[in-house]
Amino acid sequence: MQQIINFLIKYRNLLLFLFLLVISISLTVQSHDYTRYQFIHSSGNFTGGALSSKQSVADYFNLKQVNQELANENAKLRMLLDGLKADTLRIDTTTVIAQSTYKVIPAKVIKNSFLKKDNYLTLDIGEKNGIEPDMGVITDKGIIGIIDRSNSNYSRVISVLSSDLSINAQIKGSNVIGSLKWDGQDPYYLSLEDVPRLAQVKKGDTIITGKQSTLFPPNIEIGTITKAELIDNGAKYKIDVQLFNDLTDLGYVYVVKNKILPQLKEIDTLGLND
Amino acid sequence: MTKKSIYTAFSILLILFLQVFVLDHVYFLGFINPIIYVIILLLYPVEHNRALYLIAAFLLGLLIDTFQDTGGAHATSCLVLAFSRPFLLRIIYGESYKMKNLKIIQSNFDRLLLLLILGILIHHFIFFNLIYFNMSHILMAVKDTFAIGGLSLLISLLVIYLVKPKVVR
Repeated sequence: MQQIINFLIKYRNLLLFLFLLVISISLTVQSHDYTRYQFIHSSGNFTGGALSSKQSVADYFNLKQVNQELANENAKLRMLLDGLKADTLRIDTTTVIAQSTYKVIPAKVIKNSFLKKDNYLTLDIGEKNGIEPDMGVITDKGIIGIIDRSNSNYSRVISVLSSDLSINAQIKGSNVIGSLKWDGQDPYYLSLEDVPRLAQVKKGDTIITGKQSTLFPPNIEIGTITKAELIDNGAKYKIDVQLFNDLTDLGYVYVVKNKILPQLKEIDTLGLND
Repeated sequence: MTKKSIYTAFSILLILFLQVFVLDHVYFLGFINPIIYVIILLLYPVEHNRALYLIAAFLLGLLIDTFQDTGGAHATSCLVLAFSRPFLLRIIYGESYKMKNLKIIQSNFDRLLLLLILGILIHHFIFFNLIYFNMSHILMAVKDTFAIGGLSLLISLLVIYLVKPKVVR
């Protein structure tokens, strides 16, 4: 017994080191899984608050550019609305909003990263604004990611620039679908995988979100095809997609809530039980 | 004594502020994101209480982890650096550094530089390997260690001479 105590006293620093090492390595391993049970994250009230006050100072320097982008988007939406006017004239706008499948919530990015293997963004809105995990995040130029976790005031987004995420996408004008992934190299490119060999793939074609995706509204333009090559002995395509979005420079984004997601999930489980 | 501790606390806060709010948003050449908070650990007074130093290093790493969403990568690399600092000090300042009442920040420039280079290399190498978390990406981790480590070293030296106390005690 005495010897054990002597051993513990003699090597107490080494033991403390090993103990802390085990904790920190397990936190690291955990962070490489796509789980939301992480203990260390940037959407806590303290970290979120600090990041958001920093961002509010930084915002003054690009007000002009953000205004310009918002004006451009407004103009685009106005043109769209003009095209739909014939149908919408007789309907009250509130009914149109109430009937839409998706609820769109604007948010500000207070932290962004794109250099790591798994990247996260932090938004300045949380559960108070109706944010829940598994909601899609988009901008007018394409998709950003999926809400990963949220607390009352802040939420964290797992970026499309993450090794664990794969998003259902399709080639515009056809029904060819594939899954969109990031290879961890260039933040301006994603790759579309699992596209069958017989699919019509052309350089310059636009990639949009697929109808099978429950997180994002369909037909959001993501990027264009820059390169396509056959892999696995010519069995399927691997396609490089250049993004419309600049994920290294994000200001304001939209969180999309699918109002019929519970019903969709219910139907999915029905199929499994049969 | 109190004046000195206030000065130390102020320097630590300044370095953390610089790291989290300025340098984390700098992307030199598109991928170089300097990490300078490591100097807090390297310049920490030669410890009498080693356990406290290890815990402080762990918590410092964890704080940076929460800001960067890196899980525990910073915490692990800080911890290993803190554990290996006595060996580094022994190599650089000689076996008897504990007797001499060593003040690292006041030491000769060449020895301080050597300590910074070795410390930053150890920290960055472990950190980037934990970020990539894949043995096949070890070359990329080495590239990042040297490229980012180089700029980290440069900025660290600038910051050290900015916060260094003028009076030689």
